Amino acid sequence: MLGQFELYMPTDFTEACALKAKGARPVAGGTDVYVNRHGGKDRDPEIVDIKLLKELQGHSYTEGHGLDLGALTTHRDIETWDVIKKKYYAMFSGCSQVGSVQIRYRGTLGGNIMNGAPSADSIGPMLVHNAEVTVAGPNGERQIPLETFYTGFKKFDIQPDELLTRIRIPDVPENSGSAYYKYMRRGAMDLALMGVSVYLELDGDVMRNVRIALTTSAPTPVMSHSAEAVLEGQKISDEIIIKAAEAVASEGKPRSSWRSSAEFRVRLLHDITILVLHEAIERAGKSFEAKAESIPMRLYPGQDGLKPRPKEEV
Amino acid sequence: MRTVDIEVTVNGEVYNKTVPVNQTLLRFLREDLFLNSVKEGCDEGECGACTVIVDGEPVNSCLVLAAELDGKSVLTAEGLAKDGRLHPLQEAFLEAGAVQCGYCTPGMLMSAVALLNTYPHPTRDQIRKEMEGNICRCTGYTRIADAILLAVDKMEGQDA
Ligand SMILES: Cc1cc2nc3c(=O)[nH]c(=O)nc-3n(C[C@H](O)[C@H](O)[C@H](O)COP(=O)(O)OP(=O)(O)OC[C@H]3O[C@@H](n4cnc5c(N)ncnc54)[C@H](O)[C@@H]3O)c2cc1C
Ligand code: FES
Ligand code: FES
Repeated sequence: MLGQFELYMPTDFTEACALKAKGARPVAGGTDVYVNRHGGKDRDPEIVDIKLLKELQGHSYTEGHGLDLGALTTHRDIETWDVIKKKYYAMFSGCSQVGSVQIRYRGTLGGNIMNGAPSADSIGPMLVHNAEVTVAGPNGERQIPLETFYTGFKKFDIQPDELLTRIRIPDVPENSGSAYYKYMRRGAMDLALMGVSVYLELDGDVMRNVRIALTTSAPTPVMSHSAEAVLEGQKISDEIIIKAAEAVASEGKPRSSWRSSAEFRVRLLHDITILVLHEAIERAGKSFEAKAESIPMRLYPGQDGLKPRPKEEV
Repeated sequence: MRTVDIEVTVNGEVYNKTVPVNQTLLRFLREDLFLNSVKEGCDEGECGACTVIVDGEPVNSCLVLAAELDGKSVLTAEGLAKDGRLHPLQEAFLEAGAVQCGYCTPGMLMSAVALLNTYPHPTRDQIRKEMEGNICRCTGYTRIADAILLAVDKMEGQDA
């Protein structure tokens, strides 16, 4: 049961901001908001549905500029968009693993950011792709790097009268590759127990502009700048990749919960970092057209690709 | 308590209704339109028993408000049979033994309809991935995948 509430469905942006300012809860896809209401965790007396606001709608890609994503862009929009697989593979990986098809048709990127879960699957990929968010209110709009938009657990650089309107992500060169690995205990419909995202560019066999982000390892999705520094400007080698994994493992601050112990999570961080680095490096070496081809996972030096679980035949 | 007037098409029929703002699509379909194929399992998006198709997209009707439906079109399992004949997916579910207690079946059917709209010739892997939001306690899923592949054959036959 959703409980009692008043519902507003404005088409005017300033009206929506005014409603939020006086305490109404914004709702986009509702896959967090209505779940929290059903459970009785949340009983906000007023809800403002923001799906009719054109300022938050639409998504496009422009060569040279990159992605302009309305906050209402759904995970399914990202999953089924060919440019994402070619240029922003980590985002494909993240968004296509959110919940289920039904959840992905409704759940939005704006909602994934603003729900503030450390396990949110689209955030690490957007962080490594240098996303910048636009928040807007009656006093105009501001652009903020996604990295500094998070100020604490479920806390953001946003005012009560502001809404998150758009997400901008720069274009990428062909020698770039990105990857996200989501560790789950089940094959589907599970939150990330741990996740690591990587973006890098290859200059021959030298890694540049390396960006690494961690999911479910701190109160917010975070970057691992110490691991980035280990790799930046270095030649690819097993030694350097393991060093980066150690840096990630010592920087991540996962906590123990009923899902798993902190010790296990630190070990996971280490191993997942190795997997995603190999994946991003492989992808960086391929043409845009070939970037979505599957890449065997490799964990230890000299090891052949870890075989993904055998696919069932029809 | 505030209400909203909506004009919504359900299984091809247009309805003009006044709905409370806090009514879910699930409750609206079951309690106002008596479409009892739409099942409540978890009421929080986990089980898929409440899956219906809104404007071509499968959604968990427990997480959608009826108030959002103005101008939209909804399909439930009741809308699948045509001219007294079951939809090929429904026939295939029966023939392949994909129905045991049946509680998940309407939601499974609606997800399968959406799946076949996206992938008319799905592989087993695609079936598993696209149906991940529908839980079944009885069948072990293999026969559900069998049924969907059987339905694809049946539909091919119809086109020919
Ligand atoms: C069964 C199930 C499985 C799930 N699995 C996953 C998963 O695997 N991975 C994952 O990351 N998430 C998962 N989720 C969580 C959820 O689907 C995502 O976080 C989704 O992206 C939320 O988007 P939404 O539009 O539905 O948000 P809503 O529920 O509409 O909103 C979420 C929060 O953001 C605020 N908000 C939304 N948009 C804006 C805006 N533009 N400006 C300001 N505030 C805003 C709302 O006020 C609210 O506090 C799951 C949820 C369910 C029910
Ligand atoms: S009742 Fe809606 S998903 Fe379970
Ligand atoms: S047949 Fe019983 S839950 Fe699926």
